[in-house]
Amino acid sequence: MKDAASMMPEPETFGIVMVPHNQAQQILDLSGQVNQVVIKLAPGTDEKKAAEQVKVLLEPYGNLADYPRKQQLSDAILHMELEQLSAMAVFLPTIFLGIAALIQFVMLGRMVRAQRLQIGVMKALGYSNPSILLHYTGYALVAAVAGALLGSVLGVIFANLFSSVYAVFFNLPQAIGGINFKAIFYGFSLSVIVGTIAGLTASRGVISVNPAESMNPAPPKSSGRIFLERWSWLWHRFGISWKMSLRTINRNRFRSAVTLIGVVLAVAMLVVALFTRDIVDYMINRCYFEEQRYDYMLRFTTPVKETELFNITRLDGVIKAEPVFEIPVRIHFMELVREDLVLGLPPGVSLKKLYSPAGKIQDIPGEGLLISETTAKKLHAKPGDKVTVETLLGLGPSHLSEIKIAGVNRQLVGGCSAISLASANRLLQESSLISGAMLKTDTGQAALLEKKLNEMTGIASISSRQKELDSFNKKLGYMVYSITIMISFAVVLGFAIVYNSSIMSFTERKRELASLRVVGFTTGEVSGLLLKENLAQLALGIILGLPCGRFLAHAYINAVNTDLYTFQAVIYPVTYVLSALGGIIFIMIAYGLAVKGVKRLDLVEVLKTRD
Amino acid sequence: MSPKATQKNRPPVSQINEQGAGGLAKDILMTLDRVTKTYIMGEVTVEALKETSLDIYAGEIVVILGPSGSGKSTLLNIMGGMDQPTGGEVYFGRENLSQAGDARLTAYRRDSVGFVFQFYNLIPDLTAGENVELAANLVENPLSTALVLKDVGMETRMDHFPSQLSGGEQQRVSIARAVVKNPRLLLCDEPTGSLDYKTGRLILGLLAAINKERGSTVVIVTHNAPIGAMADRVVRMSSGAVVEIMENRDPLPPEKVEW
Repeated sequence: MKDAASMMPEPETFGIVMVPHNQAQQILDLSGQVNQVVIKLAPGTDEKKAAEQVKVLLEPYGNLADYPRKQQLSDAILHMELEQLSAMAVFLPTIFLGIAALIQFVMLGRMVRAQRLQIGVMKALGYSNPSILLHYTGYALVAAVAGALLGSVLGVIFANLFSSVYAVFFNLPQAIGGINFKAIFYGFSLSVIVGTIAGLTASRGVISVNPAESMNPAPPKSSGRIFLERWSWLWHRFGISWKMSLRTINRNRFRSAVTLIGVVLAVAMLVVALFTRDIVDYMINRCYFEEQRYDYMLRFTTPVKETELFNITRLDGVIKAEPVFEIPVRIHFMELVREDLVLGLPPGVSLKKLYSPAGKIQDIPGEGLLISETTAKKLHAKPGDKVTVETLLGLGPSHLSEIKIAGVNRQLVGGCSAISLASANRLLQESSLISGAMLKTDTGQAALLEKKLNEMTGIASISSRQKELDSFNKKLGYMVYSITIMISFAVVLGFAIVYNSSIMSFTERKRELASLRVVGFTTGEVSGLLLKENLAQLALGIILGLPCGRFLAHAYINAVNTDLYTFQAVIYPVTYVLSALGGIIFIMIAYGLAVKGVKRLDLVEVLKTRD
Repeated sequence: MSPKATQKNRPPVSQINEQGAGGLAKDILMTLDRVTKTYIMGEVTVEALKETSLDIYAGEIVVILGPSGSGKSTLLNIMGGMDQPTGGEVYFGRENLSQAGDARLTAYRRDSVGFVFQFYNLIPDLTAGENVELAANLVENPLSTALVLKDVGMETRMDHFPSQLSGGEQQRVSIARAVVKNPRLLLCDEPTGSLDYKTGRLILGLLAAINKERGSTVVIVTHNAPIGAMADRVVRMSSGAVVEIMENRDPLPPEKVEW
């Protein structure tokens, strides 16, 4: 990473070359000199104390600043990525394993209940309760082991696939991964434990039935009034089919809840997956088009007089040039200290805009500091407070000045405090100096202009907005990849739950649906009844899923926000619409399955068989 | 199929009374003409109905008797438009049901048929009253739900769910559900099969009363031979064929039927 203002690494324009230090000294003609000391502390050392001692030691040589590792850009970025990964590694499996366990419980329960008659026969023949329990638990175990085997094979394949992508992303020399036996062991154990418990709980209820009773048809499912019926003015407005659907949902509370959880999670995960796209879109727009309105930022090797700007303004292709003075500083307030960058900008600057935390454009004050929000928070300083600014420019001595905070500015990437150009010069006891220039250019002449700028002496670096954007867009490939993974998970999850529960619901209600058909309901009318149930679940799923997704998105943002990056939890309305649409698709698939079943319903067959 | 076989499966001519019960000329409501039904179960073909012919007259009570596997339920299912015959013709009035598609059969069940099952098949999530109302909503001119429930003696239990009712009560609701549509044909499959003697007789009494008061044609399928005593005609079935049709000139009131 070049600096905190870059959103992504740009290997095309910035890199670090490692050479033996004596060679570097020779090349730069600075023999026997160093400009940076890297320190590794022994375990258990008091970091602050050590830093203080080093500071005292290096003071005579012009010690400018010291950074603990966690404040270093590369470390911060890597940490952020790793934290995101480990958050995902907990978040996703927890949801998936929980849902898988739920499905197993529901499915086995349903299967054992459907085998009531067989259980009765087994008991009548003389099988003991433990042997029946063993039979069904054995079944669950076989399924669990088979699932674990298949899961392990798929897991190894996916893990290698993912790690090769991570290897590319983190620029690792070779793919990480291989076979994680610990994970396989955990997977097997979990699968077997859940399977056993599900098998035991499912068969427990049925074996308590005596054989004669279990061979009789099951009594009608007991239904009852639901809470909505307390408001009779409302309840009477519902047609009979709505009453039926609502009571069915209530009677099958557990299964309905599972379906609901499925829809809620799927919708919420879609919100989280899609909102990352919103943030990036928002951040690009905010950083590259609203805050930063210049096409090029030039930085000079040493500060120059403002009049030098004229030489740049007259270059072909430059529409407008505005000066900037960047000064690394240390800001003191009360007992607290923080390193920051002060940006000196001319009054009425048009190529760089600063925003207040509330999102309003702020003018550069004639007097006073427009402190960055992160610094203000660290120092517990607020507008009106007076802070001491210590300059850390590599040239000349440090200067201390007291300055009043005029306002707070929020920048999404990097973030620095701003001041008027004149005040910046006063900090250094200079006048009319600038350290760089912001250019607005004619895009048609960009290539030629860039060439000319590159030939000019005294220019240390040229950052091009277009190049940054291009490199950013290239990097978006990875983001699309992770969004795709999230969306696929959401789809698989939503589908698995909704599919299972609708198949179960249909199987359990075949008889009821067949009797409706016999009474004279058309397949369309019976499907309509099922649709009402699905719609009720869908509505609730979306109503709960969208805020749940919003909550997760905020939690995610809070987890990944660092000193460097301030992500805004921006969720565009279209994200909500698309997520809701996802929920609708899942429910409609479930509905489609049920309708297919209703059409195929063999009335005679269903009504002949006993429950 | 040879004419001989057809002849063999038709009941003896002497037993067919074209005049209907009581010797009065009656309208034919439904005609089954050489109806066959075969099921293919795995590698075995089961002939559930062998060329069976039967007329059902408007307003009569017919009891179809036969042991398990005699084809009586298959016959009832075909009469009710729940199943299609493999061969032969089924006429309801002048309409040929054997060629009807699913939509037409549904409309037929909805408008013309009421079903009463052995296991009641009420909707568990609806109260007794709502179960009846659900069926009433299907037709243009239903009878009053409250009245029908009163007729079956369930007016005080209409807010109860099926799980809160006894078997006999559930069957009464199921009869009310069938009757509320005011169907021309009431088909009952072992309506007393799951009930005790006393309750069973009560249910039969209800069916007879509906026949008498509303003029619905009632077809009862049962293996319980004494129930035949209350019928205008008794159709005996065995091995997928009608073996005898007996006219009962003096049906017993259900309360006198004993088994």
